[in-house]
Order: sequence, then structure tokens, then C-alpha cells
Amino acid sequence: MKNNLCLIGLAFILFMFLATQSLSQTETAKIPKAQLPVLITSAGQSPDVTTVNIIAEEAGVPYDYCDVPTVELVKAGVGLADKESGPGFHVEIHTDLDKYPKGTAYKTMIFAIGASLKGMGASGLTVESELKRLQSLIDYCQKNNVFIIAIHVGGASKRGAPGSDNEKMIDAVAPLANLIIVTKDSNKDGRFDQIAQVKNIPLIQVDNALEIVEIFKQIFL
Amino acid sequence: MNYIVKIKLILLGLACLIAIPASFLLYQHRHFKIPVVQGPGVTQVVQLSHYLPGLKGTRADTPVFILQGKEPGGKILIMANTHSNEPAGLLTAIIFIENAVVQQGTLYIIPVFNNSGSRTTKPGDGYPLYFDIKTPWGKRRFRMGNRNASPLDQWPDPDVYIHYPDRQLLSFIDARNTNRTWPGRPNGLLMEKVTFAAMELLRREKVDLAVDLHGAETMFPVTNCIVAPEKSIKLATLTSLTVKALEGFDNHVEPSPSRFRGLSHREIGDYSETLPFLLEAPIPFLDQPTGPKTVDLLLQGKDPFLLRLAKKKKLFVPYDESGWPMAKRVGQHCSVILELIRQYSRKNPDRAIKLTNVPRYKEVVAKGVGYFFLNPEKADKKKIVDI
Repeated sequence: MKNNLCLIGLAFILFMFLATQSLSQTETAKIPKAQLPVLITSAGQSPDVTTVNIIAEEAGVPYDYCDVPTVELVKAGVGLADKESGPGFHVEIHTDLDKYPKGTAYKTMIFAIGASLKGMGASGLTVESELKRLQSLIDYCQKNNVFIIAIHVGGASKRGAPGSDNEKMIDAVAPLANLIIVTKDSNKDGRFDQIAQVKNIPLIQVDNALEIVEIFKQIFL
Repeated sequence: MNYIVKIKLILLGLACLIAIPASFLLYQHRHFKIPVVQGPGVTQVVQLSHYLPGLKGTRADTPVFILQGKEPGGKILIMANTHSNEPAGLLTAIIFIENAVVQQGTLYIIPVFNNSGSRTTKPGDGYPLYFDIKTPWGKRRFRMGNRNASPLDQWPDPDVYIHYPDRQLLSFIDARNTNRTWPGRPNGLLMEKVTFAAMELLRREKVDLAVDLHGAETMFPVTNCIVAPEKSIKLATLTSLTVKALEGFDNHVEPSPSRFRGLSHREIGDYSETLPFLLEAPIPFLDQPTGPKTVDLLLQGKDPFLLRLAKKKKLFVPYDESGWPMAKRVGQHCSVILELIRQYSRKNPDRAIKLTNVPRYKEVVAKGVGYFFLNPEKADKKKIVDI
């Protein structure tokens, strides 16, 4: 009896070990590679795009940033046609210009999802015009094989009832992305799991946004 | 003497009977001294009037504790009691003054930024005049002040406060609010002189970071957060992400509105090279729909009405039977300041600030705020500064 119990115990430990190994391998395998140069932008103009910029900096991923780029600006490639920041329009160029000279086409676009009426108002946008802008950018990315990463790190405060501003931004970007990255508190209702499953998109879920630093390293470096 | 005059005299006598003892209590409160011990890191104490002589001899003048490390480096200004009815900042500042040991760079700490406001109370709101913090050696007593300066020190109020220099029209009461009078002017209202003196400190000493410690209602969206303008927002966000990941508490980032003038997180950034941050810790005591404004509510933050509102999702912070104890608020302030310093130093090694001996969130929550206070009665009298 005692021997049987020992065997069952050992079998359980072995099973747990293998299950954990296989799970971690699956999760690692799920992280696809993306190419530089990368443009980071906002989908909904919430401050969460700053979080994504910081994650890129911490990961050592050089990036360009514009909060409200148009398709023409994205087409202009690295350097964003030397546009300068002004009220309601922000640009940052951190791409390594030696490796990717100005005008090089972006290979990846990262959308930080989260709606802010204040943010959209400051950029002269409405929910409708922001959605239209996102649609045109995603169309451009899909036609030009630009890898799309959708990120949601705003937690519950950047989620809402179906049809709310935040959910509209999610609908506009996440189902069309090539990779979705979310924090657990952004995905408490499993909405992103559902999108990822239905659309067959790799989904990476993290406990806190800072963990995305390591994921960015695996994706880009 | 007719009976109407007699009644008037009796009423006057009754009014005096109430007013005189009450005035005595308020007089005592206004002159109550809080002894602060200069800790091992304090190298100098000056008055704020050092940066604007016009403040000298006024109730607005206030001590500035300087903690200078042996190695040169970056500089940080920590201000507390800008609003003296939000005392978590004051307690945090005292923990830094009495404990911090600085190896590199300099800390400037103003524990009572609106000195006049810390010596008055809020009429009609039933605020306690004092609160005690338990320590391993007994209790330490603090003044509970008000949001605005006392009218005894700055009077009369204008009909409308016209902000300098933007001429934005603000509420008349904000003329006495040291978080509406930034960047101030040397010959303006007394509170404008206070903020101008602080601006002079920041500019003359070439201070890298400025942290203004506050508390905000749980029903107000700008609570439990770091408020930062464009130039500080990345550092604030990095700090917010790090404390959440490593210490397990939320402290989100709120952008400083560019068109709302007079606030420290806006004007310091616009009128100096310094990166400003305003930290808001939740303070249930300030919420309107609470029970009596008792010391217990101030220190524990437990209120049955707020609990009901939390269940209806009307609050902007998590809230349960444990309330929002002072140790949690002070601990958050300590950790966020230390993290801002750490992240800034990491990004700017030539302007690094290195200090030790200040507790972080978990330690303050575990041991209590008073655990980190020195006993003024046992300290060398030369080391005591009354605030």
C-alpha cells in the first residue's frame, strides 16, 4: 500500500513536471519574431502608449513614436518625414538611423489600446475619427505586410461594457493583429482569449506590464 | 436700560463665553510646535526666506532641511503639507529627515510647505486640531491643518484670484492655496511669495526632481496616482510600473493638464529645469459622504458609508473593511519617492542620488509609521527643529 502511494506520488510529480515543461515551451514557442524598424502608436489616445514606449526603451528596442500618424506619415517611413511635435501631435524618433536610414519602411507597428476622451480631444479627434484613422492604418499594414502588435496594459480602467469607447478600440485593432499582448487585469473577462482563439492570433498574457520588457527582447532582439 | 438692550448684552455675554475658550484652543493650535529631530543625514537647516528675504518674519516662512551626500550628484526637493489637511506627506517627510543617510547628491525637504495653513483649521467641518502617531517610545503629536493659509496671515481675499502670470481666473479661496499660486512672484500675495521662494530654490540650486506630497479623496479620479507633466511623464510611468511589479501596489499616472494654471506639477516644469511630480495618496477623511471627521477616520481611513459606496463602485480606489490606513499611504509615498530617485539616477548616472535607511512600502505597513520616528525628548536639543 505504502509502495503504491509512493508510486502514485512520483507519477504525479513527474506529470506536473512534464506538464509545466510543456506549458512553458508552448508559451515560449508562441512568441513570434518581429522585425525592426518599429513604429509605436496609440489606439484611443490613452496615456498607456507612454507605458509601451517605456517598455521599448527598457528592452533596448529602438523605435519611432507618433500618437496620431496618418497613412501618409507611416508611408514616409523611419523619421516620419521630419515632422515635429506640436499641440495634440507628438513625434519621437529613436530608431537607429545608421541601420535604418530615414525613409526605411516600417516592418512592425505597435498599437497601445486604450480610449481617452481627453487624449482624443487634445488631438482634435472623436471616437469615430479615431476608429477611421485606425482602420486606414491597419489596412495599410495588412497590404504592406507590416507586422501588427496589439497591446492592452491599462487594466480594468481601460475596459468597459460592449460598445463602449474602450471596447471599440479593442475591436478595431486586436482581431486584426498578428500578436496580442495583454496584462492579466486587462483580460479578466477573457475577451482577448476569445479574440485570439477565434482569429488564431498568438496571445501573450503577463501579470504586470514590466514583464513585457523581456517579451520585447525576445520579439525584436 | 430697556429689556432689548439687556437681551443683547446677555447674548453678547453668551457669545463671548463660547468664543473665548474656543479662541484659546485655536490660539494654542496656531502656536503648537512639532519638534523634528535632525537625523544622521541632515547637514544644514535654512529657512525658506533664505531664497526670498521678503518671507522673513512672516508665518509663511518655514524650515528647509538639507541632506547633502559626500559625493556630488543630483538634487531632489520634497515638499509636504502644501495642503496641511493631507498629513501623510508630513509624516513621510519626517521619516526622510530623521532616517535618510545620503551618499551622493542632495535632498531638500520642506515638511510644512504652507506653514500658515498648518496652523489653522477648516471652519465648519469639525476637523480635529491634532492627531497622535504611536511610536515604540510613546505618542508623537502633530497639528492637523487646513488646505489653505490662515486669513490671519493673508487677508482680505480677492473676489476672484487672478493667477500670475497667466491671468487665469481662479476661485477667490485659491489665493491662499499654495497649490494654485505657483510659480509665484516676489512682491505678490504671501502665498505667491512662498511658491516664488521655492521656485528660486529650484532654480538656484539646480534641482533635478521636485516631489509635492498630497492626499486626495477616494471619490476623486485623480487619487492614488503620480501627476506629471509631459517632461516628467516617462519617469513617472516607469516608477508606477516598477512599484506595481516589485511592491504590489497601484499608483497610476495622471497627465498634468497644460491649461490649468498654478499647480506645482505644471508651473515647476514650465518655469524651471526641474522635473516635477505630485503624489496623491487616498485619504478617506476628505471624502464628503463620511461619518464624523475623527482622528480615527484620519488615521485608519475606515468609514461605513464609503464601504457602501465602494460596493456600488463609486470609488476610484479599491476599498474594503481595512480602510486606507496611514501606514499604507505613507509607505506608498516613501516607495514612490525612492523609486523616482532610483530610476532617475539609473538614467542620469552623472546626476545620481544615492541614499539609504528610508523604509519602503512593505516595511512601513508592517512596522507602522511611528516605528521610524526618533524620540525628540532623547535627542540632543541642538538637533531639534520646531516646525
